Amino acid sequence: MISPRDHTTTPIDPAEKRKLFERLSNVREIVFGVQDGVLTTAGVLCGLSGAVSDHKQVVLAALASTAAGALSMGAGAYLGAHAETEILGAELEQARREAQAHPYVIQESLLDQLSKEGLSRDSAYRVVKLLSTSQNALINTAEEKVYGLASGLLATPIIDGIVMGIAFVVGALVPLLPYFFIENGRQGLMAALGATAIVLFIVGYFEGWLAHRAQRWRSGIRFLVIAMSAAAAGYLIGLAISPLGTVAG
Amino acid sequence: MLGPGDTAADFELPAAINGRPSTIRLRDLRTDLVAIFFYPRDFSFICPTEVTGFNHDLKAFADARCSVLGISGDSVESHIKWAEELGGIDYPLLSDADGKVARAYGVFDEKEKVPLRATFVMRKDRVVVHAIACPLNVGRSVSDTLRVVQAIGTGRMCPAEWKPGIEFGPRDQKY
Repeated sequence: MISPRDHTTTPIDPAEKRKLFERLSNVREIVFGVQDGVLTTAGVLCGLSGAVSDHKQVVLAALASTAAGALSMGAGAYLGAHAETEILGAELEQARREAQAHPYVIQESLLDQLSKEGLSRDSAYRVVKLLSTSQNALINTAEEKVYGLASGLLATPIIDGIVMGIAFVVGALVPLLPYFFIENGRQGLMAALGATAIVLFIVGYFEGWLAHRAQRWRSGIRFLVIAMSAAAAGYLIGLAISPLGTVAG
Repeated sequence: MLGPGDTAADFELPAAINGRPSTIRLRDLRTDLVAIFFYPRDFSFICPTEVTGFNHDLKAFADARCSVLGISGDSVESHIKWAEELGGIDYPLLSDADGKVARAYGVFDEKEKVPLRATFVMRKDRVVVHAIACPLNVGRSVSDTLRVVQAIGTGRMCPAEWKPGIEFGPRDQKY
């Protein structure tokens, strides 16, 4: 016999969901860092394998490139997030001051927004009136509804920088690891490229899983194709401009 | 926008009076003066202060033999709900749904598609004696409209900031 309990679904705890959203805000850094680490290092290995015959020198140069890349990407992510946080924070602060000085402006804007979202004008009025009994509730709701700014989703510069740096190193290790174990340059390169393709697919698949997509393999293929196309395009551009670097003598 | 000396167009509009739908025709009003205030819309956070303000001073307007009419583009049903929300409004709220009257009085905001915050005081022959308009985000002073109505009712010279009880200007002084 089917009991009523069989049909009930576990309700989502909004607090847990909020924490999940905050964690997911770092997905961009992880995906970007891993993808960049994989492709940059694979590119460096491709280039060096053709030009340098000493296996150790290739590995050392790739390690140096990884360290420089991780620091650069981490610093870039930190600076970008810091700038975003400062600018958005200042805008939020200004919006807050304006709301305190002229509450009716924010009340009217919120009322219009709720009406646009489908509430009848009289219902929207009552909602805003109720929210207006707490200045914090009114301002926080208006920030999200009217300005589209959510203080909870502001970037965290230090964390973003660290996550980006670590993600880059993790990504860079993928093509590098085969080089530690395979001394033959050509075989090492093939293994590195194979590992790179597999990881790019996995990152895309993971992103599809996070986004609850039904066909996650498509996300994997899409990620692999776009990233490899970008790498191939970069390689071809490099080939095209290489004659410019030849010094006549 | 109509100004002092202009003759305002007559109109007949559906209205909410004491929670019931009705119709108001301007020329049927029998008081010496009529104060008409246009406001953008029902269920707003600035308008209620004006709508309830006129209601609060309604007896003083009546004592000055002045009718009060509120006009917006909202429906009569909306006016009835709005008046109920505000705890009851004892003067008519008129529905100028297509903005025809607001346009005739020169107070329709074509961009926002709502009437401006404009107030007209006119004699029963519809000649405007006082007109004022405010930006959409600024509420009007009901007490100042009442002060002007009371001053007009005296037919005397009333100095700046005149209020009932304050001395009039000299009888022989012309406007």
